[in-house]
Amino acid sequence: MIEIQNAGWYTTLQDLGRFGHQSLGVPISGAMDLNAFNWANALLNNDPNAACLEMTLRGATLKFHQATHIAITGAMMPALLNFNPVQMYEPIQINKGDVLQFSSTKEGCRTYLALLGGLQTETVLGSKSQYKGLTRQHQINKKSLIPFHEIPFRPKSAKIKKQLINYGDLKLEAFEGPEYQLLNTTSKNILKKKKFSISQNNNRMGYQLNEKIPQPLPQIWTAPTLPGVVQLTPDGTLIILMRDAQVTGGYPRILQLSDDALNLLAQKSTRDQIKFEITSLP
Amino acid sequence: MSKSLPFTFFQMHPKALLLEWQQEPNLDLLHEINCFKTNIESHFKDICQITQGYCTLLIQWKNELENLTEIKAQLETQFRNIDSTQRHKKSKHWTLPVCYEGEFALDLEELSSELNLSKEEIVSRYSQPTYNVFFIGFLPGFLYLEGLDPRLFFPRKKTPRLKIPKGAIAIGGKQTGIYPSQSPGGWQIIGNTPIPLFNPDKKNPCFAASGDTLSFDPISYEEYQLILKAKNPIQYLTKKG
Repeated sequence: MIEIQNAGWYTTLQDLGRFGHQSLGVPISGAMDLNAFNWANALLNNDPNAACLEMTLRGATLKFHQATHIAITGAMMPALLNFNPVQMYEPIQINKGDVLQFSSTKEGCRTYLALLGGLQTETVLGSKSQYKGLTRQHQINKKSLIPFHEIPFRPKSAKIKKQLINYGDLKLEAFEGPEYQLLNTTSKNILKKKKFSISQNNNRMGYQLNEKIPQPLPQIWTAPTLPGVVQLTPDGTLIILMRDAQVTGGYPRILQLSDDALNLLAQKSTRDQIKFEITSLP
Repeated sequence: MSKSLPFTFFQMHPKALLLEWQQEPNLDLLHEINCFKTNIESHFKDICQITQGYCTLLIQWKNELENLTEIKAQLETQFRNIDSTQRHKKSKHWTLPVCYEGEFALDLEELSSELNLSKEEIVSRYSQPTYNVFFIGFLPGFLYLEGLDPRLFFPRKKTPRLKIPKGAIAIGGKQTGIYPSQSPGGWQIIGNTPIPLFNPDKKNPCFAASGDTLSFDPISYEEYQLILKAKNPIQYLTKKG
């Protein structure tokens, strides 16, 4: 059992996401930065879908009531284990009674904490990812108790090499969206050349950008969306859909981010800049 | 030569293919899409999900698509395999109580002056039709309904509201629907239903399905409160078929 002594700024429990319920309008959800998430589980030789904590900007303080192993990946968020600094990107042994205290991120936005065997909370429609209206809790609160199983640690024989991802990189790979061709040359050039910045309206559902595209496009008959879709609203605002995004929408879908770009964007927050690198799919 | 396909392909993502029908939404198209979807789901084993729109299907695979030509050919075969008996699936009809008073009718006043219709006339015109459930999307349990009186067509808000209450009855352009939970959204709000639209604890979380029909029954504020406070509000939902 983990006891949450302080929940941090915004902490949720996530796995790979909820698939196959889109016909009921259920979003995919899952870890915002799947790269960092997968890595955390791999370090512990966990099932790839094992649930982790996703901490945003300011981390949690946790007390462990059982022994286990953990791994911390994603945004650089310094942490103290019983007041001693711990390393990210390597398995950490935890004893009964240990207290782990995270501070704020120094680089990036979202940090993942994986635990040996995964966190054992309720599975709703095939996933443990917290989502308002689906799971009993939609975020981790102070005094939350999160159960886990005490199991022996069997590390992978091969050492996992850390690949460095520069969270400060502005470039996001994007494909032309279904309504991209409705844009005029001026709008396309703005999209290709301009640097955009992330507005304060950014969360697990979507990121709004501050700069606008001054071309009103006709609304479309409500059509499917995906995480990573860039929508253009009638007032010219760009909204990038994230993991908790709606499964359908009526705003034109002008771009679609690649998976890597979506993971990178999840590590960015208010005022950070981005630039689209538009390529086309066959 | 075989007949050309009524839809086009667009690769939206390395793992996802979008099929688009260039026509206005209609019931024949809805049934065609529903049958096609069933065939695709049973044919492809490596699909993780299919999302439906009025005139589109988005198919997501578990892995990146390597042989697009082959996949398109298989999809074409599955489309040609739709048989006419499949097209007449049994559907259900639902009647949902809705209150159009006070705090529930956030945009009714604006619609009334912009459309030059009294509030009573809007409610009456909204309660007349039998709506078709085209699909469920946007949010868990959000029903996209077709059949809105053209006099009630009204554009979405230029900037979406950050909080629309649970149960809100909304008009967005030519479409209408119900917000199943509190969420941001850009549609115009005219009323509210006390009936829950989504319950993840149930085996079937949403009572309605694509292809069903639905109508709205106006209720007073007092009736709304009674239903809301009832032990099991869903009993006030009426079902036929």
